[in-house]
Formats: sequence, structure tokens, C-alpha cells
Amino acid sequence: MKKQTPLGRLLSIYSVFFFLFLYAPVILIVIYSFNSNPINIMIWDGFTFDWYRSIFGLATSLTDTSSYVDSTDQLLNALLNSLIVAASATLVATFLGTSTAVALARYRFKLHSFYRLLLFVPMVMPDIVLGIALLIFFVGAGFTLGNSTIIIGHCTFLTSYVFIVVSARLAGMNPLTEAASADLGANEWQTFRRVTLPLILPGVIGGALLSFIISMDDLVITYFISGVDSTTLPVFILGMIRRGIKPEINAIATLMLLFSVVIASAGIYFKSKNTSTH
Amino acid sequence: MNPLNLSRKQLALITLLTPTSLFLLIFFIGPMLIMLTYSFLEPGLYGGVEWHFYHWNYGRVLGWADGIYEEFDPVYLKILLRSIGLSVATVLCTLFICYPVAFWVSTLSAKNKALCIFLMTLPFFASMVVRLYAWVLILRNSGFANQFLEATGLITEPLNLMFSGTAVIIGMVYIFIPFMFLPIYSSVEKLDKNLLQASEDLGATPFTTFRRVVFPLTLPGIVAGCILVFIPSLGNFVVPDLLGGAKVLMIGNMIEQQFLYARNWPFGATLSMVIIFMMMIILSIYLYKSTKKQAGL
Repeated sequence: MKKQTPLGRLLSIYSVFFFLFLYAPVILIVIYSFNSNPINIMIWDGFTFDWYRSIFGLATSLTDTSSYVDSTDQLLNALLNSLIVAASATLVATFLGTSTAVALARYRFKLHSFYRLLLFVPMVMPDIVLGIALLIFFVGAGFTLGNSTIIIGHCTFLTSYVFIVVSARLAGMNPLTEAASADLGANEWQTFRRVTLPLILPGVIGGALLSFIISMDDLVITYFISGVDSTTLPVFILGMIRRGIKPEINAIATLMLLFSVVIASAGIYFKSKNTSTH
Repeated sequence: MNPLNLSRKQLALITLLTPTSLFLLIFFIGPMLIMLTYSFLEPGLYGGVEWHFYHWNYGRVLGWADGIYEEFDPVYLKILLRSIGLSVATVLCTLFICYPVAFWVSTLSAKNKALCIFLMTLPFFASMVVRLYAWVLILRNSGFANQFLEATGLITEPLNLMFSGTAVIIGMVYIFIPFMFLPIYSSVEKLDKNLLQASEDLGATPFTTFRRVVFPLTLPGIVAGCILVFIPSLGNFVVPDLLGGAKVLMIGNMIEQQFLYARNWPFGATLSMVIIFMMMIILSIYLYKSTKKQAGL
């Protein structure tokens, strides 16, 4: 490596500060989630697991007044809703996104560019616009706001993400393998199931993971179309922050960050498998 | 069996496309059209709508309340302009922060590059509420920034860092930085480093090289990044909600208020349409310019 110029050194220092800016705030939450000071959560007062114990309803050394999550049930219920919504929406969106990606990659037809646009628009549409459009629609059409409306709402934009990921995978595939399958007498369905699907599977799984994490994290759209009993985790946390900063939020936030890192690592693992096959 | 006399290929295509077409028609295009319709309906007395054509929702955005010309009060126009201003500031900040870093990352070894890209994509996966909450912890009166400044003796009384335009910009920059970095990085990565050498050999100063070679070649990434940051910033309501308070309302907060508190759905729909119109203008200019470039003009 050649010797660094002063400008190059300045650039390195600047970049280090950039990554610090990106990660320090989040790391701060993790550190202070173990802080035992219940009054000012930013003044270090000793190490504790109490906030973690408190959110799971376990016995803590805290007095009743400093405990904040009035019911662990609410929190766990929100988590359960988030998981149900994310799993169902991912399932539907993966099916819709994959079938559309296969159709657009393998067939030439008149509405080709229309479908590309149709799947592009929900992704760039600002969350709040999509959220209130769905709210007006659901209320007008007589839907009861709840998990089912959130699932439908999430599918409208998750389909696009799956579509993008699977399309990228299909673009890197040799179409001759499918032609060979057809030459050997397989019909469309057999070719899809035995040739296309195994080859695009890493893309499908990657797309599914991406949509699962986006669904788990979605706040704005869910905020508008969730019912009273169907709060998801991000909406629940927004409510907590709005009511006041309490140490339990740090613990919940830390657990969510941990979860995100695990899923992200899994996603990147699949992506690396994705690229190493060709 | 096959009354429409379709080939197997056509049947397969229809089978593949029907579910998504139906789903998006009912649950995406439908709601969008209904929202457009709502923006032309009169708000009813108790939160409902009157089903007749009413254009004063749009008049109200510009400042004429319910068609009475005397009461011109551009309160919504001001909020709209403030939203645009804060979004532009966010775009500029992310651009200036990310551009140099993208160059730095492109000079690293393949392994370190992969690590940096991983670090840039990781925030995509982390919850947005949690990342914003970090800034609430830092910026509030008894927060980390004030504690730090007091400890160093720079200030004696806590500064009001929250509930300001600056706090909103910091929050939006923080959550949208990856949207700016990744497109810029991909165009910087594609930049042929030999061109820089060639420009220098031909006697250009570093600044001229930047202005005439580097900047034009990375412009597609810059433009893509700016659009990807500007559009979600404009309609954002969570950042101003948590960090801006009542003083720094943005158009997103107005929409939320119309739907959840004021119960004036037609006006909320109208404000949403304003966001869509602005988004459409930006995207059409972008598509027009990029197709013109592709055509070689």
C-alpha cells in the first residue's frame, strides 16, 4: 500500500468519525440498558439485569414505583402480534413476489413495463401516504382493523421487495437450463418445480428474510391500520417513548437490536451463498 | 378444458400474474384512487364525508380556508415549505457526510470494503424507532449530550437541543444515511481510477479533476441518493413527532392529526395527494433526464 497523503489521512479520520456517528448512539442504548439508576437513566449507577427481568415480569430488586411496564402481557402481546403479522405477510408476499418475478423474467408480453412500474411504486411511496390510503379503504370497505388488515397492508409493499430480490437472482441464471428441461419433455410446472425453484431458492429465502424484518420493523403503516387490540412491537414502543423515557425501553430496544443483528447476519449469509453459486 | 384457446405459455403466464395483479389492484391501486377521490369530497360535520365535489381542500392547503377569500392564512403552506426545507437540509447533510466516506471505502482492501458495506447495511435491519429513541436519549435536557457538555464545563445549564429543526434534521440524517451512502458508493466504485491519473497527467488541478471528471461520473449515484432520501424525509412524521415536538411540525404530522384527532379525512387525503404530486414531479424529471441520457443526447 502506498504512503498516505495528508488528505488521505484526513479522510480516514473523517470516515472513522462517520462510523462512530452511525453506531455510538445505538451502543449507548445497549450500555445504559444495564444501568441500575432508575431516576436518571443517563447517570451510571451500577450494573443490573433488573430492566430485563422487569420486562419479562420476573422478580426484581426494584421498588414498585420505579417499575414502568404496567403489564408484561401488553408487551408480549405486541411481540406476538408482530411475529404473527410478519410471518403471515412474509408468506403471502414471498408467494406473490416470486411468481411475479418469474413471470416477468421468463415471458415477454405487452404489459411488461407496466408491471415493473406497478411493483416499483409501492416501494417508493412514502409510508404515511400508503398508510392513510389503506386506512380510508379498510374503513370504507367495512374491514375491522386488526392483524388481518396489517397483514394485507404489509403485503402491498413487501411483495415489491421480494420481487426485486428474486428478480436479481433470476437475472443471474442461465435460461438455457429451463430450455433444456422443456426439451426433455417437462411441462411448465415440472420445469418450475424441479429446475427453476431450486435454483432461485436462495433468492426466495433472502427476499423472505428481508420482508420479515421490514414487516417486524414497520411503524408508520401499521400505526394507521392497526386496531385497538392489534398493536405491534414498534407501535407499542412508540407509545412508550411518547409517554416518557423509562429504563425498560432501553432493555426492550437492546433485545430488538440483538434480534435485528441475528436476522441480518442470516440474510447476509444467504446472500453470500447467493453470489458464490455463479 | 381450454375454451379461450390459449397456449400453455399464456396459461402459465396468467396463472403466475393473476394473484399479484388482483392483490395490488384491490389493495394498492384501489386505496390510492379512493384517497384521490376523498381529496375532492367535503368533510362532514362529525368526521364523515359529504359525497359531492369540493375543491376547497386544495384551497385550504394554499391558505384559503373553506373558500372564504378574506381569511387568507397560509398556515399549511408554511408547514409544507418547512417540510421541504427540512428535507432539503437532510439531503444536503447526508450528501456531504456520505460522499467523502464513499471514496474512502472504495480505496480499502476487498475484505475491509465488505466489512464497511456490512456496517452500512446493518442499520437497515435495526428498528427505526429504536434508532430514533437513541437520539431522544442523547438530545433531551437530561440527556447524554447535555451531561457530557456539563461534565466538560462548556455549559452550566442544559441546552434545549430537543424540539428544534436541528434535532429533526439530525434524526432524519441518522435514519436515512444508508439510502444516500449505498447509491453513491456504487457509482464511486464504478469510477475508473485511471481517469483521475489521466486528468492529472493532462495538467488538471485536483479541483478541476473533481469538477470535470469525478463529479459528473458519480452524479447518477448522487441523484439517486438524493431522491431516496428526499421522498421519505418529506412525508416523515415519526422524527418530527419524537424530536421536533409541537414547534417543528411537518406535513406528515398534519396528516396524522387530520386522521386521528381532527377527523377531517378529506383534508388529510388532500395533504397526502400533495406529497404524491411532489414525488411524481421529482420522479418524472429523474426518469426524463435518465432516458435522455441513455438516448445519448
